[in-house]
Amino acid sequence: MPSNTRPRISLPQILAYIAMAIVIILVGLPLIWMLFASFKQTDEIYRMPGTFFPEQPTLMNYPAAWNAVPFGRYFANSVITTVVATASKMILALFCAYALVYTKAPKWLKDGAFLLIVAALMVPGQVVIVPNYVTMSMLHWADSYQGIILPNAATAFGTFLLRQYCLGLPYEVVEAAEIDGASHWQRLWLVIMPMAQPALVTVGLFAVVSEWNDFLWPLIITNTNEMRTLPIGLYRLYQTEGLQNWGIIMAGTVFVVAPIVLLFVRSQKFIIEGIAAGAVRG
Amino acid sequence: MNRRQIPLLRESLTLVGFVILNITLICAFTFYPLIQGIQLSLYQWDFISPFKIFVGARNYVRMFGDRTFWQIMRNTFVFTFSTVSLTVLCAFGLALLLSLPLRGREWTRGVVFLPTLLSGAAIALVFNYILDDRYGMLTQFLHIFNIKSPSFYTDPFWAMAGIVVTMVWKQAGYGAVILIAGLQGIDHTLYEAAAIDGAGRRARLWYITIPSLAPMLLFVVVTGILGAFQSFDIIKVMTNGGPINATNVLVYNLYERGFVNFEAGPAGVLTVVIFVIMLVLTILQLQVGARNNAV
Amino acid sequence: MDAKLNRRQFLRAMAVVGGSTLIVACGAQATSQPTAEPTAAAPAATEAPAATVAPTVVMEPTKTSVIDVTYWGSFSGGLGEAEKAMVDSFNASQSNVKVNYQFQGNYEETAQKLTAALQAKQTPDISLLSDVWWFKFYVAGALQPVKDLMAAAKVDTTDYVDSLINEGTRKGDIHWTPFARSTPLFYYNKDMFAAAGLPDRGPKTWAELAEWAPKLMKLPIMAQPTPDAAATTPVPTIAPDTKLMAFAHPNSASYVAWLFQGVIWQHGGHYSDPDFTIRIQEENGVRAGKFYQDSVLKDKWAYNAKDIGADFLNGLTATTMASTGGLKGFEKNAKFKVGTAFLPEVDQFGCPTGGAGLAILAGLPAEKQQAAMQYIAYATSPEGTTTWSQATGYMPVRKSAVESDVMKQYFAASPNAKTAVDQLAKTQPQDSARVFIPGGDQIIGKGLERIMIGAEDVATVWADVKMTLEETGAPIKEAMKAIEG
Repeated sequence: MPSNTRPRISLPQILAYIAMAIVIILVGLPLIWMLFASFKQTDEIYRMPGTFFPEQPTLMNYPAAWNAVPFGRYFANSVITTVVATASKMILALFCAYALVYTKAPKWLKDGAFLLIVAALMVPGQVVIVPNYVTMSMLHWADSYQGIILPNAATAFGTFLLRQYCLGLPYEVVEAAEIDGASHWQRLWLVIMPMAQPALVTVGLFAVVSEWNDFLWPLIITNTNEMRTLPIGLYRLYQTEGLQNWGIIMAGTVFVVAPIVLLFVRSQKFIIEGIAAGAVRG
Repeated sequence: MNRRQIPLLRESLTLVGFVILNITLICAFTFYPLIQGIQLSLYQWDFISPFKIFVGARNYVRMFGDRTFWQIMRNTFVFTFSTVSLTVLCAFGLALLLSLPLRGREWTRGVVFLPTLLSGAAIALVFNYILDDRYGMLTQFLHIFNIKSPSFYTDPFWAMAGIVVTMVWKQAGYGAVILIAGLQGIDHTLYEAAAIDGAGRRARLWYITIPSLAPMLLFVVVTGILGAFQSFDIIKVMTNGGPINATNVLVYNLYERGFVNFEAGPAGVLTVVIFVIMLVLTILQLQVGARNNAV
Repeated sequence: MDAKLNRRQFLRAMAVVGGSTLIVACGAQATSQPTAEPTAAAPAATEAPAATVAPTVVMEPTKTSVIDVTYWGSFSGGLGEAEKAMVDSFNASQSNVKVNYQFQGNYEETAQKLTAALQAKQTPDISLLSDVWWFKFYVAGALQPVKDLMAAAKVDTTDYVDSLINEGTRKGDIHWTPFARSTPLFYYNKDMFAAAGLPDRGPKTWAELAEWAPKLMKLPIMAQPTPDAAATTPVPTIAPDTKLMAFAHPNSASYVAWLFQGVIWQHGGHYSDPDFTIRIQEENGVRAGKFYQDSVLKDKWAYNAKDIGADFLNGLTATTMASTGGLKGFEKNAKFKVGTAFLPEVDQFGCPTGGAGLAILAGLPAEKQQAAMQYIAYATSPEGTTTWSQATGYMPVRKSAVESDVMKQYFAASPNAKTAVDQLAKTQPQDSARVFIPGGDQIIGKGLERIMIGAEDVATVWADVKMTLEETGAPIKEAMKAIEG
């Protein structure tokens, strides 16, 4: 290594690196603690003073957590509801945003629809939980995939974001396509969708994160283990184990957290850029 | 129908066709329940009994005369304000740091951003364990210095501090990523011009960076407020609103009155209160946004 | 993707090995409320083999299709296992009815779910309801009166322990059948009592406990349970800042207001009269509140525990009060000898009943009602209640079970269980303010938190609590008048 050609590191740089290290420790430590605890035996968890590194690492907490509540089923439910709701959100938001920006419908119609979207932004999801439960149940959809997914199948926020993004796109491209005889359908899929991809990714990402992590709605709408999702399952595990078995609870937490971490590690750059682009442009 | 109206009609139909599902779902699951909630605020009802009594404004009068309600308003403000201001501060610091030409900064951005994506319930469990005053990591750490850990369970101040720290830990990375993107968007010639004019580091931060970043900062503040205002899972798992209502905020209280105590009236009143606050916040945001030429 | 699959397979394989750990882990649920999930990982494994199914003697002339009965419950951990076993053995005992047990969370969550389900008219057929929730559903007309059903199922209603069945009887009909009924019990760590040179019994009065407290609190905290039996000698820890406590109070979410019900009686006070006149703010109520406050803030021999069960098992407190339903969990998981005693007295003895019972939801078709009753009859039969009681520590709800030889032998072998049953005779049903006013339990519980944690003036807090109870209680009072006249 030609170390002599390397530029010298200045003092401010060293300080910056130290700051960066501290940041990594502060952010990473809780997750490391979770991971290490999941390998600890019960007596080590309850030793005072305790340990940081597991002294006699064990894998037993994982099967114990996996068996304590049906994590496999929860996992499948989380995947199904997340995928369906996310796809639905992205498609509906894109359709809606496209129509609001590119159709030549009368202004009052477009404004009216847009106003509804903006107004919906102001209603926090928690506020509507109780009546929504009643609606779902009257349709006999409590404790079903439809029940979990439907209230989350559309996104006012995503629609808003995509519309703003589309407004920023060069209108001429769409016009050119129209002159070439492309239908709305074709313009949407072939022209706008590729151009709006960063915002779409943002919408999709928000959807995945909010569906995967959603807590209150699935807590209320699901009654059986067949339908519960991962966060609810984890909460049940916590209730089962109480404050007795942090090792097992942390192992369960790893089940919930790990898929998102893996997804993130694989596509970190894409995700961060998507979030930033969507937010900055929107 | 003349020739001009036909494409207009077709366009209108296209619009309707494209938006109908989205709008229907939003109306069915956002506006309709909101109206129901407002209606409930005028009744005394326990959700199941056949006795649903119209009481007019009595629920409002009682709610606004209740000491606990104002405590909850105060909690909501303290929680939101401290969460958002700390989040913005941390995010801004992180953004400045991670915009420097450092090796591994991309990777660090990733680490910092990661908590945003994780389940609030899971995070709350981890922090519950970390802050456990008998077996948690913090106790162990403080033990080295022979300091006794505060009780995040019985001390109202520390219970609030615990959920605020958890929220900030979870949210700061998101703000940082937005602000980093904002920093990248600042025109570099501005800095160069300022440097020529002899502006110091602090002056450049104050007169160029922060104003240029204003729209992004606003975005981070707004999303932060929305996030804090609506956070439920962390409070439910970590404190259940306790001790003695010290961490009971509006949304948690709505859940409690509606789903635990089954008081439809008070739950309806809280629905209205939350909606009005959101409305005011949104209008403020739009106005500030308009002034900044952003959003 | 391959790596992921392998990991999953590996975990599956480990799951088989890990099963035994889990049983130990699950039994640990021993606080006063049964929260949490029953294991449902491998239901197939727990179902009784077909060979053991008893031949059905019952005459069922029609071509029987199996009637499904949905049963919502709140038991988890060790209690959940026991409940699952009960359901399984019922399902195996006959072929007409199949009960599906569905865990809904703790008592509160089950009541929440049921309320929501009632709005939606999508109820289960049977629900477990706790002492503080069943009444609300009764008033709403949601519970099926079951006297006739019981008669049809040939259940001898007079055999239920009188005080227990009477609690669920309104307007001469039974709406709430006693099942997992309990009382508070005083638990103490026998090893610690011995080490402190105290007699091997519970304190007669709270004053006696306060007297003993300094001796207990001088003991070192022992290093925590090692799973291998070889390490029997506990090692003192070097943590200087954690002190052993003499007594642990739960929080409002763990039903401190239930335990305090006994304490306020011991002081000669009441939460309320049967006609909903609130009396908690009276002199004796304030005295009782002051006693709780002083135990934590002035005399400092008690503290507010996050989880009384965990702290008791981990040797951080020498004594506590908790449900009899926690008995088996404590005995199974404690690394020390667990002692039980009647609640300590003040001016007099006082101890409430509590726990949960079973209810059939109103408006079911007749065959469902009968099927649901078939299960309730099974679960609360002398045999059923005996099995349940021995597995959990809950009270046997049938007189014939209490007096049966099986139970007598069991009591002889398990003196702690006998304490609970002996105490049952001295218990009384709770005051209306806690059990009949929806949320009354939490209103009082949060008041206690203000007193013990917030150090607020007791009289002020009780005045507030009285007001809230009166406000919240007004509608149910009206509704009751409309229903019962």
